[in-house]
Amino acid sequence: MTSSASAVSSEFGISTAARISLGTAVYNELLEFLHDEAALLDHQRFEDWTELLAEDLAYTAPLRQTRAGPGRYSNIIQAIGHFDDDYLSIMSRVGRLGTKSAWAEDPPSRTRRLVTNVRIWATANPDEYEVVSYLLLSRSRYEESDLQILTAERRDLIRRVKPGFKIARREIIVDQSVLGMQNLAVFL
Amino acid sequence: MLTESKSVLADGTRVEDLINRETREVSMRVLHDRELYELELERLFAKTWLLLAHDSEIPKSGDFVVRAMGEDQVIVSRDRTNEVHVMLNVCPHRGMRICMGEAGNAQVHRCIYHGWAFKPNGDFIGAPIEREQMHGDVFAKSELGLRKARVAVYGGLIFATWNIEGPSFDDFLGEMKWYLDMLFCRTDGGLECVGPPQRFIVPANWKAAAEQSASDGFHTLTAHRSLMETGQFGNDEESIYANAPAMYGIDIGSPHGHSLRCIPAETTFSMFMGMSDLKNLGTEERLQLLPPPGIPKELVPQLKTHMDAKQYELLAKAPPQVGGMFPNVLIAFIYAPREDGKYGGALTLHTYVPKGPDHVEFLNWIFVEKDAPEQMKRDMVANAVRTTGTSGTIEQDDSDMWPHQSRAARGVIGRQGTFKYGAMLGQNKPADWPGGAYVYEGFTKDDTQWDWWQYYFQLMTANNK
Repeated sequence: MTSSASAVSSEFGISTAARISLGTAVYNELLEFLHDEAALLDHQRFEDWTELLAEDLAYTAPLRQTRAGPGRYSNIIQAIGHFDDDYLSIMSRVGRLGTKSAWAEDPPSRTRRLVTNVRIWATANPDEYEVVSYLLLSRSRYEESDLQILTAERRDLIRRVKPGFKIARREIIVDQSVLGMQNLAVFL
Repeated sequence: MLTESKSVLADGTRVEDLINRETREVSMRVLHDRELYELELERLFAKTWLLLAHDSEIPKSGDFVVRAMGEDQVIVSRDRTNEVHVMLNVCPHRGMRICMGEAGNAQVHRCIYHGWAFKPNGDFIGAPIEREQMHGDVFAKSELGLRKARVAVYGGLIFATWNIEGPSFDDFLGEMKWYLDMLFCRTDGGLECVGPPQRFIVPANWKAAAEQSASDGFHTLTAHRSLMETGQFGNDEESIYANAPAMYGIDIGSPHGHSLRCIPAETTFSMFMGMSDLKNLGTEERLQLLPPPGIPKELVPQLKTHMDAKQYELLAKAPPQVGGMFPNVLIAFIYAPREDGKYGGALTLHTYVPKGPDHVEFLNWIFVEKDAPEQMKRDMVANAVRTTGTSGTIEQDDSDMWPHQSRAARGVIGRQGTFKYGAMLGQNKPADWPGGAYVYEGFTKDDTQWDWWQYYFQLMTANNK
């Protein structure tokens, strides 16, 4: 593990900015966690997925907006998002998916979450890690041969528990200001 | 200029023939036809008043947002005198886009192609190299401003139309205004838009969404059944069809296609407060016990000062909660109960902006009362995001259905099918009903949606005036 201050990390409000390097034991564990999480969602094991969520979860997806000129890089809109959820509301969403009439995902989409570019930092809390990853979600719906695609950066706070990890915070920075799919009835 | 003959499509079908007024059917061809779509852009989206933005999105001089009127992109901006302007986001020089972002602040909008510059009110300032007079000697500067639409601001909502000499905004609303005032003009501070709208594309014809927004109450029981199965709306799986929650009420229709559903207080009190006998509760007591969605108890006293006695009374008896404004606005000022006991209400408006015959852009604005407590505002934003728009557990089902209706209309046989509006209450205004427009009391039926189509066809077949 190296502990060099990172220009990238400060952008995300990371306090200690101690980088957890690729290939370290912690990095490998967290990478496996992200892969396992993606597999649970892609296999529609939503209730198992909720086992990975901390009860103080904040799950948000701020809007993006195209800006030009002097403020052009201020394009993340925190006031409103595509998700604005906590643990209870995520449980409620998952509960709804289990009903007989959650039409937006019945029949279910076939999804693939490709999680890459994983960067990890330690935080002031030794049990918590800032984990930034890129997400490519593909969604195959009905008989349509075109895949629906969404790309995003995920900024997670992941907490070590015994055993394993839980997601305490997930901020999803989608890239589109106008989303190209008919809803977000899927988790990101 | 359009002529009467343009109301005939290339294959000889008259637009008028796409609606059967005797059997109350509308041809599914309307969800697919490119020719008809072009006619809609001309006769609806370049003619009627369209919702574009809210005052609170552009509070300061020079603030602007970029929105769409049909397929025409416009700048909605505020000038130094606090006046709001709506103008085409296209440079009159060579047709380049002027504002490249979705929002910002500028006292000068300069085209990035040749540098022609415009004020926030659209007036032409000049072109670079003034001494060479690069705007030419054909047109005076006063003739080279951005193309300006006509603007109306109502309850902070910014509407515009290209129909410069056409009906006023108040005429457009007609008797619906009395009801809409109860939603948009009810407090001292008024509504506040919390941020820019959520935006997403649905692969469906815009009218699949729009005809539903004309107060389709009936779909709730089946399309949104999951909400009742999870108990969020005070019923369980077995009782949904038996109890038909929130199906009985008063639907308000309009000759201009606007509509609202007034839900009796007995229904909302029973669903959200577990009380069904309200006989002994007066107007004030009801409003204090269960204020209209989005109104904190401390703002209840203001309601009375912003409306007449009959509006105030109706607010306590059967307040309007959902509905639409022609051609493409959905209104949802709803109770959204929460499991954690936090404030349960959401205020949202949508527009369904056409993007070709096969796509529609869904814009979802989320509102709060400006003077509501901060925590309540925060809760309301979360409620709106969780129930409406992109990921909303109510509306994610709607937006997955519209593409199938549109897909069906692509088939030669499918487009010979019809939308059927056979279930009608007919106007049956109770003797003591305080408001105007078309009043339909009872189990919500097809009346308001049929009204919507009547106006659609009226505009689509009218002479170009």
